Amino acid sequence: MLASLKRLPGASWLIHPVTLVYLVVIAIWITAGIMKPGFARIGHLRYLLELAAVIGIAAAGQTLVIIAAGIDLSVAAVITFAAILTPIVSVGWDPTGLLGILFVLAITTAIGAVNGVGVVLLRVHPLIITLATATILQGSLLLIAGGSAVSTTNPAVVWLGNERLWGFPVTILTWLVVAAATLVVLHRTVLGGWLYAIGTNPRASRLAGVNAPLTLITVYAISGASAGLAGLLLLGMNRQGYVGIGEPYLLGTIAAVVVGGTSILGGRGSYLGTIAGAILLVTLTALITVVNASPGLRMILFGGLVLAMLLIAGRVQETR
Amino acid sequence: MSAPLLAARGLAKRFFENTVLDGVSIEIRPGRVHALLGENGAGKSTLINLLSGVLRPDAGSIAIDGTEHAALTPALARELGIAVVQQELSLAPNLSVAENIVMGAVPHRGPFTDYTRLAAETGRLCQRLGLDMPLDTPVDRISLGRRQLIEIAKALYRRPRLLILDEPTSSLTGHEVRILFGLLRELQADGVAILYISHRLNEVLELCDWVTVLRDGQRTADQALDGSDPASLVRLMVGREPGDLFPPRPAHNPGETAIAVRGLVAEGISCVDLELRHGEILGIGGLLGQGQEETLRALFGDLQAKAGEIRLAGQVQRHLTPIRAIEAGIVYVPADRKREAVLLPLSIRFNLTLPSLRRLARRGLRRLQDEARTATDAIRDFAIRVADPAQPTLHLSGGNQQKVAIARWLPLGPRILLLDDPTRGVDVETKREIYLRLRQMAADGVAIVLSSSDTLELIHVADRVAVFRGGRVVAHLDRDQLSEEAIVAASLGVEAELAA
Repeated sequence: MLASLKRLPGASWLIHPVTLVYLVVIAIWITAGIMKPGFARIGHLRYLLELAAVIGIAAAGQTLVIIAAGIDLSVAAVITFAAILTPIVSVGWDPTGLLGILFVLAITTAIGAVNGVGVVLLRVHPLIITLATATILQGSLLLIAGGSAVSTTNPAVVWLGNERLWGFPVTILTWLVVAAATLVVLHRTVLGGWLYAIGTNPRASRLAGVNAPLTLITVYAISGASAGLAGLLLLGMNRQGYVGIGEPYLLGTIAAVVVGGTSILGGRGSYLGTIAGAILLVTLTALITVVNASPGLRMILFGGLVLAMLLIAGRVQETR
Repeated sequence: MSAPLLAARGLAKRFFENTVLDGVSIEIRPGRVHALLGENGAGKSTLINLLSGVLRPDAGSIAIDGTEHAALTPALARELGIAVVQQELSLAPNLSVAENIVMGAVPHRGPFTDYTRLAAETGRLCQRLGLDMPLDTPVDRISLGRRQLIEIAKALYRRPRLLILDEPTSSLTGHEVRILFGLLRELQADGVAILYISHRLNEVLELCDWVTVLRDGQRTADQALDGSDPASLVRLMVGREPGDLFPPRPAHNPGETAIAVRGLVAEGISCVDLELRHGEILGIGGLLGQGQEETLRALFGDLQAKAGEIRLAGQVQRHLTPIRAIEAGIVYVPADRKREAVLLPLSIRFNLTLPSLRRLARRGLRRLQDEARTATDAIRDFAIRVADPAQPTLHLSGGNQQKVAIARWLPLGPRILLLDDPTRGVDVETKREIYLRLRQMAADGVAIVLSSSDTLELIHVADRVAVFRGGRVVAHLDRDQLSEEAIVAASLGVEAELAA
């Protein structure tokens, strides 16, 4: 069927993997809505989008990193780090709470930049360096927070995670801003062009005058910042941070990126696909919850579904 | 003469709207070296793919030993004794020489690899091809020329009855070519049929008995090679007098010194002295792998100099990097365009603007209209044949890819252009266009270094030639000293031996 569609003039966007993912999301929403009317209520869908916002924001940096043929395995640890550090560093004398937020974002950005410097200078594979960073962060969190949950009263964080603006949840609005910024970076900046070049062929890019070190350090820093922001949103929604809060987001971000049609080998893809991937991911998670399975079984189902989606996404790309 | 081993009649093949082959017939006989000539895009590769079962013909028939095979597959073709050595190397870089040679046909005893037999058989083959490296050397540590020989050994290991060679000598040294030719003659005497594709007409004339010429998917000649000369073969391929391959050279009156290199030492270069002036084309010759590529890379900052100095417009350069070199007006067109120059999956437009991306942008924000205009200008200026600049560069022919690799630098207005074998594997028409452009650029004051494995090209395009051997310049030949003999003699060190 795909092959015959391809021959129709002007229909190539129809079988574009990104379009397909959006179509799948809508199909699931409609089907689930018919079978279980509560599912397609505006309130529930809005809730799904709020959950997707956390994955989507964390996956923004991941998308850029993966397009440059890298990977950031420290996103989960950075999310947890931000969620635990914020309550600790939010000082009482700042009534807005913005200082704490800026401080935490600066630190997570710096963590990402350190990843980038490691990749560039030490020439260690990003898998290794970001995994090492993640482990170090987890260890330091145990030292700082000692394993207990910390609640936050930081007004800016609470506002980010719970309030509405013009009727829309601030989480979703934040995601929209992040999405717009990410798309501009990818498709309208020199940095974005260089990302695709490096992800396609690092050696040829270097010989074409691409500043690879600067580009790589910048995208890992952006990944740190976006994971930090996702951590802040998550903290705001939960009002408390604990060790392990960011855990589901490692596989989540990578799956959202790859399901959205971005090549794990780099050089190809867009954040538009990641947005769809993030929404699809939370939708499937919600379906699993509806099934009313035990937490263990839910994780198994989730992992299996991610695998299935990746296989399907891979097939669609091959047939193109 | 004996019955044909393979007889193909009226082969036709279309890809979408393009007719690539149109009613081509070819007869291949045992013990004959059969040349297949034609420009890039004439249909040679498609014909090979049909004969080896990789593609199915849309019309026509292929008979092997008198039996027609309507559904020839690569496996069946192999079984019938057809072996192909492709132009693009298909070796596994991490595996050893021996493992690559036997790949897919590993000698075994039960489930275990028979290493004794493997070593004996591959050792014998390597010896015949003059390959003296240890059999367990990983292929990625071996020079391009030797990899090509290993590719040939891999084909010979299967004891083919028909050996198809696609540009087998494009990266071989003169010595390696002699060994290969000797081996091909032995095979010929043993009754093996050989189909030989090459752009090097002198080799074809020396080696082959029969020639089939393709032009635009049609057969324009099928005849014995006796009494042919290169000029007549070229006429069959292009339908045009060959005399205009090289543009006329204006008088050599270079401007100021662009680059002066003294005592340069780096990996692969033991001591290089060079001077390049604006407005001239400096040719670099020699056998393959004598430090030519390393010298260009060092000038571009891609290889760190260990000693010696590089002066740009009189100023000593330290810690040159590609980015700094480009800022100083030096640009580099690598020999391996697919791995080092063109980003194949990305669009033609993107490739043409990548080096100038930052210069075209304003405060880091790309201006897509300016980029599109720059790409369109480059496509027009360089006569790159493109249906749609948004297409992946992959879809372009090799010659057009090479044009992209050069043209992408033009928006930067380079002052010094370093080219490493820019016409390798490129069709005659594209070669001519590239020479013409280089001449124009030199006339505009650009200093050009042209490293080439094609001696004729050096003689006709360069104003002066520096010949490399063993990582140093062994001869500087001025225009009045330029001849094939002089360059070859210097490459082989003949003069030095005479003097000693």
